[in-house]
Amino acid sequence: MSDSVLIVGGGIAGITAALNVADYGRHVYLVDDTPSIGGTMARLDKTFPTNDCSICIEAPKMYEVNTHPNIEILTNTEIRKVTQTDDGFTIRLLKKAKYVDEEKCTACGKCVEACPVSVPDEIDGKIGGTRKLISVAFPQAVPNKNYLDIRCRNGSMRSEGACIGECVVDCSQCRECPIAHCVKACNNEGKFAVVLWQKDENIDIDVQSVIVATGIKSHEPPEGLYGYDVFPNVITYMHFERLMNAGGPTEGDIIRPSDKQHPHRIAWIQCVDRGDKGLPYCSKVCCMVAAKQTIITKEHDPSAECTVFYNNMTSYGKGFEEFYQKASGLGVRYIIGRPFDVTEDPETHNLTLRYEDIINGTIVEEEFDLVVLSSGLEPNDRNKRVAKTLKIDVDERTGFFTEPDPLFSPLETATPGVFLCGGATSPIDISESVVQATAASMKAVARRVRVAEEVAV
Amino acid sequence: MTEERMDAADAPESAMPESAASEAAAPEATEAGAEVSPASTAHSAGAAANPAASAAPAAGASAPAGASDDPRVGVFVCDCGTNIAATVDCPSVTEYAAGLGDVVFAEEGKWICSVDYLTRIQQAVKENDLNRAVVACCTPRTHEKLFKNTVGAAGMNPYQLEFVSIREQVSWVHKADKAVATDKAKDLVKMGVAKARLLEEGEEIRLPVKTDCLVIGGGAAGMTAAIAVADQGYVVRLVEKQDVLGGLLKDVNTVAPKGVPAAEVVERLVAQVVASENIEVLTSTEITALAGYIGNYTVDVSRVGVPGTFDASTIIVTTGMRELDATGHYGHGTGDDVITQLDLERRLKAGEPLGAKNVVIVQCVRSRNEERGCCHIGCTVALKNALEIKQRDPEANVYLLYKDLITVKDEYAHMKEILKAGVKTVRFSDARPPEVTRGADGRAAVTVHDVLLGAELTLPADLVVLTVGFEGDETVPHLRGLLKVSANEDGFFTESHVKLGPLDFAAAGVYLAGSARSPKPLRDVREEALGAAMRASIPMTKGHVQAEGIVATVDLTDCSQCGLCWKNCPFGAIEEIDKNPHILEALCKGCGLCAADCPKECIQIVHYGDAQIAAQIEAALEDKPEEKIIAFVCHWCALGAVDIAGVGRSEYPANARIIRVMCSARVAQKYVLDCYDRGAAGVLVAGCEFPTCHYITGNYKCSDRLVRLRKKMEKKGYDTSRLWEVWLSASMGPKWVATMKEMTEVLGLVPACKS
Repeated sequence: MSDSVLIVGGGIAGITAALNVADYGRHVYLVDDTPSIGGTMARLDKTFPTNDCSICIEAPKMYEVNTHPNIEILTNTEIRKVTQTDDGFTIRLLKKAKYVDEEKCTACGKCVEACPVSVPDEIDGKIGGTRKLISVAFPQAVPNKNYLDIRCRNGSMRSEGACIGECVVDCSQCRECPIAHCVKACNNEGKFAVVLWQKDENIDIDVQSVIVATGIKSHEPPEGLYGYDVFPNVITYMHFERLMNAGGPTEGDIIRPSDKQHPHRIAWIQCVDRGDKGLPYCSKVCCMVAAKQTIITKEHDPSAECTVFYNNMTSYGKGFEEFYQKASGLGVRYIIGRPFDVTEDPETHNLTLRYEDIINGTIVEEEFDLVVLSSGLEPNDRNKRVAKTLKIDVDERTGFFTEPDPLFSPLETATPGVFLCGGATSPIDISESVVQATAASMKAVARRVRVAEEVAV
Repeated sequence: MTEERMDAADAPESAMPESAASEAAAPEATEAGAEVSPASTAHSAGAAANPAASAAPAAGASAPAGASDDPRVGVFVCDCGTNIAATVDCPSVTEYAAGLGDVVFAEEGKWICSVDYLTRIQQAVKENDLNRAVVACCTPRTHEKLFKNTVGAAGMNPYQLEFVSIREQVSWVHKADKAVATDKAKDLVKMGVAKARLLEEGEEIRLPVKTDCLVIGGGAAGMTAAIAVADQGYVVRLVEKQDVLGGLLKDVNTVAPKGVPAAEVVERLVAQVVASENIEVLTSTEITALAGYIGNYTVDVSRVGVPGTFDASTIIVTTGMRELDATGHYGHGTGDDVITQLDLERRLKAGEPLGAKNVVIVQCVRSRNEERGCCHIGCTVALKNALEIKQRDPEANVYLLYKDLITVKDEYAHMKEILKAGVKTVRFSDARPPEVTRGADGRAAVTVHDVLLGAELTLPADLVVLTVGFEGDETVPHLRGLLKVSANEDGFFTESHVKLGPLDFAAAGVYLAGSARSPKPLRDVREEALGAAMRASIPMTKGHVQAEGIVATVDLTDCSQCGLCWKNCPFGAIEEIDKNPHILEALCKGCGLCAADCPKECIQIVHYGDAQIAAQIEAALEDKPEEKIIAFVCHWCALGAVDIAGVGRSEYPANARIIRVMCSARVAQKYVLDCYDRGAAGVLVAGCEFPTCHYITGNYKCSDRLVRLRKKMEKKGYDTSRLWEVWLSASMGPKWVATMKEMTEVLGLVPACKS
C-alpha cells in the first residue's frame, strides 16, 4: 500500500503542501503542467502588505523542493486517468515532451543563443516580453532546464523563421538533427541534451491521497473593455506587475507600451469585468495589489500621480488597512466608483477617463498616461478536466472547485482522499494559500491513520 | 588535466606567504588574527579535526601525508562546455590550483555536474584520500547540495566542500577580457582553497522530539488543532482558562455567510474532543510558568487554584480574540438601545424579541482607523444579522452604515440576496462619520452623511448595533513573555513570516492559529488550526528537529556573560544557563548575528568561522589589493542578484572578490577593518533588500552595525567612503551590475585588475 501523496499544481500552495507532506516523511509527487514550478507567485514583483520581494522568498522554497529527498517533481505533466483503489488511487500521468533531456541539460543557454526565433512571452507578450522557442521558463526556474516550444517542433512556427520549419521529415523519425540550431549548439557543447524526437511519456503512480492546488491566474479583460487590446497604454495589473519586476521584460523600468516613456499620470481601475457577465465574484486581492503597485510606483518616482478608482476597499487581512493607508499617505488619490469609459488621443496615445465625482456630483474628464485594469483572478482553465478526472465538483458559475461542507469539512471534496488548497478553492492571497496548503497536507497524511485504525478495529 | 601531488618541500613555500602576511599585518589585524586562533581551536576541540593547528605552516610541512587531520584538498574546475572555458583559461586555473598549499589533486572537467564526472569526483576522493574539496563551477544556490552529496557518498565529510562560482561570477560577466577573467577565477579558487583548508567537519544536528502537544485555548481553533494532532495517536493537553470549551463561538448565534448555528459547530467539536482518548482537557486552567524549547518544554499550570506540571514537546497557541470595549463610542453606555454586534448575537441566540422596528447598524467601530486595521469579519457578520432581523420581523427597517463592504466569493453572492431582502445600506466616509443623538424623549437617532446620495440622513433608531473591532486575549501579554514570542499592540501574536510562515513563530516548536493571529472567519480559523496541527506534527512524527551543520559554537573562556547573544537570537536558539550562553544547535539557523556581535569574540559559526573568512580575505588581497573590492554577499537574495546578473550575461568590472556569508548579519566589523588593513581598494556589504531577510532581521542588524562601524572608523581616521553597502532582491541583477560599475568608477579602479 502506497502512502505517497500526489500534489497537482506547483505554485506556492503546491510547493507548501509538498514540503509539509515530505517533511512529515511521506513521498510526494509534485506535478505541474508548465515547464517549471513556481506558479503565479514566481512572476510577481512584490508581495503585500510587507513589500517582500516575491521570488526572493519563493525561490528558496523552490530549491528546497528540488533537493528534498521525498519529493519528485514532474513538470510539463498532466493527470490523465484516476482509478480508485481500496486504500488510495492509481493515477496515470502524462509527461509531455520538453524535447530536452532533463538529465543532460544544464541550462547553459547555448541553444537559446542559437535559436533564431523570438516569440511573445505568454505572460509578458503584451508589454514587449519575448522569449526564444527554446528557453528556460524564467531565470529561477525549477527544474532549471530548457524546454522547446512544441509549436517549433510541429512546424507551426515555420512562417516565423523556425529553423526546422522546412524539414520534410517528421522529427520523431530522426535521431540526430542536421538542421536545428539548438541541437547543433547543444551538441557542440558535448551535451546532446536537445532531443527533438523525444516522446510523451506515461507514468503510473500509486498514491494515498491527492491535493489539488491548480491555482489562479490573472483574468484577461474582454477586448475593448476600457480600451483594452485597442489602446496600447491600457494594460492589466499583471502586466504592470511585470513592468515593476526587475526580472520582467523591462528590468523593472516602469514604461508604457506606446512610446517606452515613463508614465507620470497612472490610473488603476478596480473591479474591471466584475459582474454577472464577467467574474461573478470579488477577486479579493486586487485592492491590495493596487495599493502595492502605487506604493512601488511612488518609490520609483515620488512625483508620479497615482489614482485608484475603487468600489469597496478590500483591506481584510493583517496589516492590509495600514498598507492602504500607507498608499493614501503617499498621496495616492482614491476615487469611489468605476469610470464610464476610456478614450484615446491618437497622437499622444494618452487616455481620457470619464467618471463621476460623487462628492461634488459632477462628471469629470481627466487625462492619464497609462491605465491599469485590475481585472481580477480566475481559476485555472484546466479545472473542469481535473474535476472530471478526479470525480470532484466544480462550481459552474465561478469555475472554482467546491467543497460539499466547507464549514465542517473544509478543503475536502466529493471524493474522499482528494483535498483542495489555494487558488483551487477561490480567489486567494499567498498567505491564505500557504495556510490552506498546510491544512490540506494535514488531511492528506492523516487519512491513512484513520483507515489503519478502522482496519485495526 | 593536471594531477599534482604536493611534496613536502613545496608546502612551506606555498603556505608561507599567507601566514607571513598574517604576522606582518597591521596591529588591528594581528589582534583579530590572534583572537581567531584560540577561539577556533577551542571550538574544534570537540570536533574531530583541528583545522587551526593543521593550517600552521610547520604542521603542514612536517606532518606525514595522509594523517587524518592534514588537509588534503582536491580542486575540480569545470569548463561548463564552453560557458566557462571560452572565457576563463581553465587549464591555467587548474594548474594554478594544483600549486596551492595543501592541494593534492586538481583536475579540469568538461561538465563536472554530469553523472560520469560525479563518479570521477568520487573516485578522486577515494584514490587521493581527499578530505577537502573545492569545486569551481556555477553557483552554490543550485549545485552545492549535489556536490556535497557526491563527496559525502565517497566518504568525505560533505561540510568540507567549498563552492567557488567561476561561471556566474566570472565567465558570464567578464567576457570582454579573458586575462582578467582568468585572474579573477584564480583568485576565487585561491580563496576557496584557503577556506577549504580550514573547514571543520560538520554534521546534521538533531534534537529529539516526543509526541506530546500543548494546545493553549479551547475555542474552535484549539479544538480543531487538538483533534487533528490527537488523531495521529499523539498526546494532547488542551488548556482552557474558562470552565467550558467553545471560546468566542459560545456566544455567537450563527456563522456567516450561510447561517449555520454556532452551537452546532461547538457541540460537534466538543463531542470529538471528548471522544478522543488522546486529549486531556484542562478547563479553568491557567499557565503559570513555561520553560524549555521544542521537544523539552515544562509547563506549570494552575487548575482551579491547584498547581500541576507536565511536559510538552510542541505548543499550539490558539488564544483567540475578544471584542473591544465600545464604551463612549456612538453613545455606547448611554442606554440599553446601543449594543455591540456580539451583544446582538447573544440576544438573537437567546431568541429574545428585539422589540425594535428601526435598527441601525454602524460598521467599523474602533477599527479601520489610525489605531488598527480591518476586523475582517464585521461586514459578513453584520449582513448576516441584518438579514436575520429582517427575517424575524419583515416590517423592521434595517439600515447598515458602512465605509466599505468587504464581501468576497460566496459572501459577495450572499450580500446581493440580503440587499434584495430589503436591508438598506448607507455609505459614509471618515470625513463625516455617523453620530448617535438622543431627542428630548431620550430616543436615539443616527445622523449620517450618505456619500453616494450626497445627502445628510437622520435615521430613528430603536436599536443601534455597533460592529466593533477586536483585540487579542487578555492573557497574551503574560503568554508572550512565557513563550518568548512577540505580539502587536492589539495583542495579536506575530507570525514568523506574514506570507510564507503564517502558522509558525520564529522559535521552533511553537505554532499559531486562528484569531490569536488576527481576526478571521470561522472557516479560516479551522483551516489555520489544521495547518498548525500539521506544523506541530512534523517534528513529532519525525521524532526530532534537525539543523544543517552550519551552526554557532561558543567558547566560554572569554565570555563576559553580557547576554547579547541570547537576547538577539531571533530563533531562541541560545539558552541562558547560569548566565552563560548555551547553543541549542538544532534550533540554530547559522545566520551568524551572535558571532559577529559578540564583544569577546567567543562565538564561531561552523563553515563561516573567523579564521576561514580571514583566510579568504588574506588570499584575495595577497596580490594587488589596491585594485580589489572585497564583497561580502549574503547567500539568499544578494547572491541571487549576482547570479541573475550572470544569467543575463551582464558585463561589469572584475574588481570584486565575493565572500559568501549566509546572512549579512555575519559580517563582523573586524572583517571590514581587516580588508582595509590589507589595503583593499574597497569593501562592499550586500544583503537582502528590506524588509525581506531569510533570518527575519539580519539585514537590519547588519545595516545598524555598519552605521556604528563607520563612526568608529571615522574616529580612527579610516576613509569610510571606501565602505559600501547594497541591499538587493534576488531579481536585482541590474542593480548589482550598476553597483559594481559605480563603485569601481567612484573608487577610480577602472580598468579592472589586469595581469
